[in-house]
Amino acid sequence: MERSFAKEIALLRQGDGEVFEGEGILAITKALLQAGVSYIGGYQGAPVSHLMDVLGDARDLLDDLGVHFEANANEAGAAAMLGASINYPLRGAAVWKSTVGTNVASDALSNLASAGVIGGALIILGEDYGEGSSIIQERTHAFAMKSQMWLLDPRPDHARFVELIERAFELSEASNTPVMMEFRIRACHMHGRFVCKDNKPAAHSKRHDPLVDPNRDYGRICLPPSIYVQEKHKVEVRLPRALQFIASHGLNERFDGARDDIGIILQGGLYNTVIRALQQLGLADAFGASDIPILCLNVTYPLLPDEIEAFCRGKRAVLMVEEGQPDHLEQAVGALLRKAAIDTTLVGKAVLPMAGEYTAETVLRGLVRFLEGSVPHGIDLVAAGRELAALDAAKERAAELVGDELPRRPPGFCTGCPERPVFSALKLAERDYGKVHVAADIGCTTFATLEPFHMGNTVLGYGFSLASAPAVAHAFDKRVISVMGDGGFWHNGLATGVSGAVFNQTDSVLVIVDNGYASATGQQAIPSSSSNRQGAPKLSIEAALTSLGVRWIEVVRSYDVGKMRRTLRKAMTTAKGGLKVIIARGECQLARQRRVKPATARKLQAGERVVRTKFGVDASTCTGDHSCIRLSGCPTLTIKDNPDPLRRDPVAHVTEDCVGCGLCGNVAHAAGLCPSFHRAEVIHNPGAFDRGLDRLRRKTIDWLSGARRAEMAG
Amino acid sequence: MTNTSPKPLSILIAALGGEGGGVLTDWLVAAAHHAGLPAQSTSIPGVAQRTGATTYYVEIFPVPIAELGTRRPVLGLYPVAGAIDLMVASELVEAGRAMRNGFVSPERTTLIASTHRVYATIEKMAMGDERADAARLRKAAASLPKRAILFDAKADAETRRLQLNAVLLGTIAGSGVLPLPLSAFEQAIREAGKAVDGNLAGFAHGLRVARGEVSLPPDEPSVMPTVPPAFVDAAQAFPAEVVEIVAHGLARLIDYQDADYARLYVQRLQPLSQAAPAVLTEAARQLALWMSYEDVIRVADLKSRPERLAQVRAEARAGDLPIRVVDYLKPGIDEVASVLPAALGRPLLAWGERRDLLDRGVPLRINAASITGFVLLRVLARLKAVRRRSLRFIAEQQAIEQWLAAISQASRTSVALAGAIAMLPGLRKGYGDTQRRGRRSYELLMERVVMPALRPGADGEAAARRLVEGYKAALADPEGQRLNQLVAAEMARDMAAE
Repeated sequence: MERSFAKEIALLRQGDGEVFEGEGILAITKALLQAGVSYIGGYQGAPVSHLMDVLGDARDLLDDLGVHFEANANEAGAAAMLGASINYPLRGAAVWKSTVGTNVASDALSNLASAGVIGGALIILGEDYGEGSSIIQERTHAFAMKSQMWLLDPRPDHARFVELIERAFELSEASNTPVMMEFRIRACHMHGRFVCKDNKPAAHSKRHDPLVDPNRDYGRICLPPSIYVQEKHKVEVRLPRALQFIASHGLNERFDGARDDIGIILQGGLYNTVIRALQQLGLADAFGASDIPILCLNVTYPLLPDEIEAFCRGKRAVLMVEEGQPDHLEQAVGALLRKAAIDTTLVGKAVLPMAGEYTAETVLRGLVRFLEGSVPHGIDLVAAGRELAALDAAKERAAELVGDELPRRPPGFCTGCPERPVFSALKLAERDYGKVHVAADIGCTTFATLEPFHMGNTVLGYGFSLASAPAVAHAFDKRVISVMGDGGFWHNGLATGVSGAVFNQTDSVLVIVDNGYASATGQQAIPSSSSNRQGAPKLSIEAALTSLGVRWIEVVRSYDVGKMRRTLRKAMTTAKGGLKVIIARGECQLARQRRVKPATARKLQAGERVVRTKFGVDASTCTGDHSCIRLSGCPTLTIKDNPDPLRRDPVAHVTEDCVGCGLCGNVAHAAGLCPSFHRAEVIHNPGAFDRGLDRLRRKTIDWLSGARRAEMAG
Repeated sequence: MTNTSPKPLSILIAALGGEGGGVLTDWLVAAAHHAGLPAQSTSIPGVAQRTGATTYYVEIFPVPIAELGTRRPVLGLYPVAGAIDLMVASELVEAGRAMRNGFVSPERTTLIASTHRVYATIEKMAMGDERADAARLRKAAASLPKRAILFDAKADAETRRLQLNAVLLGTIAGSGVLPLPLSAFEQAIREAGKAVDGNLAGFAHGLRVARGEVSLPPDEPSVMPTVPPAFVDAAQAFPAEVVEIVAHGLARLIDYQDADYARLYVQRLQPLSQAAPAVLTEAARQLALWMSYEDVIRVADLKSRPERLAQVRAEARAGDLPIRVVDYLKPGIDEVASVLPAALGRPLLAWGERRDLLDRGVPLRINAASITGFVLLRVLARLKAVRRRSLRFIAEQQAIEQWLAAISQASRTSVALAGAIAMLPGLRKGYGDTQRRGRRSYELLMERVVMPALRPGADGEAAARRLVEGYKAALADPEGQRLNQLVAAEMARDMAAE
């Protein structure tokens, strides 16, 4: 790791009465330590990567507390680790990005939930639903229901987060059930404060009161007949205990308001957004005091029938604010009301969208529609309508002024990224063997499915590209290419993809883009990272492949576009069957720059010789066709107005942020593009030889150019 | 109604990944805390940080915590359309996006935006010019908000060696929208502890911008080239609006070849001098560009000029330091053949085509700042003396004559058609494969659309529309698929008509 988290770790060390100030996800991390966890495991992904990063760096602190931390190979590994709480009174937490991570983890989760726990088992889920999310839009709620794990969706407030994490462990222990807590991306990145408590050491660890007797109980094994007993235990014991705990500890919050004929039930995570909409309509004050009563469900599964009934009874209409589909909560509340014969009208997805993120504007519009439909006493509906009309008018006016669609700006490879040249080569190589089906994967490599490469036909999950290839390959006239990152390779690609391909003798091509980190989630170390954690042994991708019996392996420096193109051609056309693997190697440029930049600055300061490289385009020879950009897409390779008075099309241009990775020149050569590219190498702190040679060159060139003669004449 | 309490101030920051929007947000929150006000920020970085567009959202409550007792405001996590007090955009299209999403209200919002463009990949990768309409966006940004502070923060930051986010923070402070003293902002920068002096300088500059104390540099006036004395009369014979283009064309062709070649340019234009001004202007522009087509000789000449090395030095910020300039040249067989005399070039080209070797070339890396590299380039440039006998020169002149004749003929029947033909050489650009593809598209449209349209009785207006459509299709994708589809569809239609 090139980054230091010393500041964050200092926050985690805070004691009783100190005020924590920082991001939500860090507050959550601190809460785990305050709750006395024995172990934490997980797999990185937005928005919970930060928890993994900071704890990975906090070895001393964790050792002091007797907490075991593990960066698991994948989410299934993290979930399996929670098995420690099945037999022993150990509190533990696993963390990952949902729902994709929950999918990977679900085998272990089902077993865990069936066996039940003695120690509190908490699963912290980073929810990345909606605008800007990079994953499929599904609800964690369904997992909670089908495996019977309790699901908390806390109201966004640091103090509430911390308190509920403590309660979640107690709930888990009281009901022998693992508990899931979902935190939305904005809440994880929310800046706030809370008053700390001291961290609690782990109940048992090698250092303090180690366990000596393994608790061997067949009743905890997920095999018959235990599983039948476990299933009964779930409904007969665990659920009632959970309901009782939730009710007696008041985990959900009821906020009464002046109006008694309507009400709002919401997922805790949406509380602030609903309050903001109410404020907008003049129905709540800045401190959240609302005219309309609110039932804030910090626990969204299970629901407390009594609580729901008590809230709804006597109200004409209740709005259910529930993000995502299916509308599990609305259906559940509806059924509760029906059974209790309460005739309150329940409105949810009728006025709010079934799919998509509940942004402030979405909630505002839904709320106004609800108010207009329910016609509550004493609320000025005309004013509410006016609010929306003003919003629409302003948007219309803006559209008029701004005009048609603006160019979209999705994320892409960073400046100097070593993955970009791999896709330049893939695009060029298609000129040799024609278009091919490309099985894409999760990670930074997924950006290649966007402009300018459009390289990728399917994405089936993290590390699944190769596994998704054989049936397609069978139907095609030529081989299929699968691409995966080194992160995906270790996460699932090796076991699911490579071993399957070798076993089935699949004739296929796999490109592993090895940049040394899990980069899309923020450069976490993976087994093959050279800057691995705590001196862990570095695993070799080649050795892993060889040991599985892969015979055709080529390692290519990723920036060498020409060689990569030739190697791809070879892999696609060789008569040899079986799996052919090309490893494209080049360090993540973000990580590299984090290391190189300060080092270069130090050298410059110390007066040492430094050669700085920057690419450039000669505007006078660039004809503005932009083929170079279609093979690169580097942020620093851009366009500018054509300085030529006769030309109209913008010319290519390299901005100052160029890190001199060399792709521009390589592509110009490999594609035979255009002679406009040049590489400028500036020698800082030059030696006597550098200076002498430069002087000689300049003088000679000046003289040959005739500039010297002109000067003399002048 | 209970809503008599003060409302939080809402600040939305739209930025691109890697621009320091997160740090800017942290400074704002810290400044609010220094002023004793409750504040909350959030963001959705995710993978958007990888060069994509992203937003940061901050709310500041204008009543000090000290006066609130145990009460705390509930602050939002989402910006609300129509309810933003301060919209900050680090780039022009992002300002446009904010406006389209309703985050800039005429009644409430102060918009601080940098007017520079960072082009999106889909704008950059176009084969022609498909950039968003910046002038329109600037106008919108100036007229829609309650108050607008618009300036090229990027250029400001770059020329003054300041950080963009620090400049924006200064502008935010100077706008006076937030109830925070300047000292709170400065304290936030100091406490963050990174590049403190530089960021304070950036902050101070932004402050001056917001207060209107920085005068913007004037636009550079366009330079009209001086027409060489020998050509003054000939140039003046053209309508006033064409003279500037002609002057540029003359200067270019004298530089490219010699005065005789420039004379040929004027002679070629003269038959068109009665054509519609728009047609003549476009023809004059395209003719000058076409006659100065890029061959190895031209490229070597341009790359070995003193002003070119000076330009490279300036762009690389090399100052007076020693520099190496590595040029990536890869002359292919057709490029070599094209500068050879026709008798030699033609068989070489035919051989290359037969062997399918046109894509191949000799990759060269020439240090243009070295003596050997420079001499090599100059020797190539001197081949100018024999250019007139080269294979490509002869071929280009023939094609030019054919094109000029087509414009002349079309301008008698349809101005639209003449105009469309005049712009057609715009497809012939680039090098190597790009150049071959452009030439193919050009020839296809000449043969399929232009030639039939010049036959007596043809519908010139319809042909003009088809030609413009074909031109756009040729620029739609680099493989020429769209153009091929279009031509195939036309053929099918023609056959059905027959």
